[in-house]
Amino acid sequence: MTNELTTWLDTLLAELDAISVRRTSRRRLRVEVASDALPALLELLRGRASFVHLSAISCVDWIDAGQFELVYHCWSYEIQSLVSVHTRIPREPGVYISVYDIYTPAAFFERDIHEMFGVWFEGSPDLSRFILTEWDGPPPMRKDFDSEAWVNQHFGWQDYHPDWLKNLEARGGGIAVPPDEQRFSRRTVDET
Amino acid sequence: MTHIDQVPTPGAPLPVEIGVKAGAARTNPFARVFDELVRFAQSRSLFMLHYCTGCGAVELPPAMTSRFDMERLGIQPMVSPRQADILLITGYVSVKTLKRVILTYEQMNSPKYVIGICSCTVNGGMYWQSYATAKKLNDYMPVDIYIAGCMPRPEAVIEGLRGLIENIRTGRADAWKDYYRRYDHYLGNQQRLFGADWQTPTDVIAEARHYDLFGPATLGAHTALLEQHQRPLEALEMRIEIPELMRRRSRADQGGTAQ
Repeated sequence: MTNELTTWLDTLLAELDAISVRRTSRRRLRVEVASDALPALLELLRGRASFVHLSAISCVDWIDAGQFELVYHCWSYEIQSLVSVHTRIPREPGVYISVYDIYTPAAFFERDIHEMFGVWFEGSPDLSRFILTEWDGPPPMRKDFDSEAWVNQHFGWQDYHPDWLKNLEARGGGIAVPPDEQRFSRRTVDET
Repeated sequence: MTHIDQVPTPGAPLPVEIGVKAGAARTNPFARVFDELVRFAQSRSLFMLHYCTGCGAVELPPAMTSRFDMERLGIQPMVSPRQADILLITGYVSVKTLKRVILTYEQMNSPKYVIGICSCTVNGGMYWQSYATAKKLNDYMPVDIYIAGCMPRPEAVIEGLRGLIENIRTGRADAWKDYYRRYDHYLGNQQRLFGADWQTPTDVIAEARHYDLFGPATLGAHTALLEQHQRPLEALEMRIEIPELMRRRSRADQGGTAQ
């Protein structure tokens, strides 16, 4: 039965024009679809093909192509297989449609992606701050966000050779850090 | 000592004297002996707050239980910050966690000691370029002992705790006083992360006056900013919303008025 369902699904998806399907393993199916056809495909998967569980939505920032790739991972308990639906949207303005009306848990994932990548999901119930409640910078998981510069701007660094360490070294302890690995020695920054 | 005839008025300093005022001569010839005794007792009965951040907490169960047995040094876990002496920060502190850590630290009674375990508390550790974790714990609160390592073994943890015990016994573990003396510095670093309207429920400045630790660096530009944004604390409204209880209570009220 399970095998038959898998075969049917493969045949069915192969019949559709706008999508490209690749079976990556026995239980995984990779589907690429245009962004305007994705809600219809999810509707079909959930309503007709028993893919009732949306396990995650992930986002990839393809900065050179100027695109965000959204991946919807749908799982079927009956067929025991995972369909990953890939779609690409333009990076600017980064607006897409919410699938909250098809899968309710999408609200969480969309809120998360909105926070980390700044993608706006039209129709999502709540896109307020989720995990980074103290955050006031740009979306931090975009490729053009320079985490190191942000950190240098917002945090202080410990000296690599502070006075308390000298006390430890006098007693035979201490830390050995090669000079070329001391990336953030405040002392050298102050000197220059 | 509290005088019964002096009723405290709101806003005024409390009519309480504690410890010995700076500069006053100590008249009790046994004071030094008592001091030493008290310090010895303090160093041998430390309660460690059960508040673990990050992954270094994994090394604490073996340090606490029979293999390494922290309790033979007089160190026991404690569940509430009000009764704890040691705050262990066992690993990376995210910005969000740091808020809670500071709230916890300010709730603890003095003398209080902070131990930063793992490299992450020293300088960010392997999360050095992460936007979400605080790098240097002693920017935000005074730290007595750092135990570096990723993660330090229980032997190292015990060694660090023994160092703290030795510091307490000899009277050198007074980093907590620094929080009152240089509150402006610590508050400034906190405001840098949490924004200008950052405020804790603890009145640290009044506490600094109370402990006689009010220094020239207690107030500054950052405490002035705090005063601008400070909202007076209000007691939380007590509300019980259990339908059955409300029904019973209203029934009792009606019965009372009818009689």
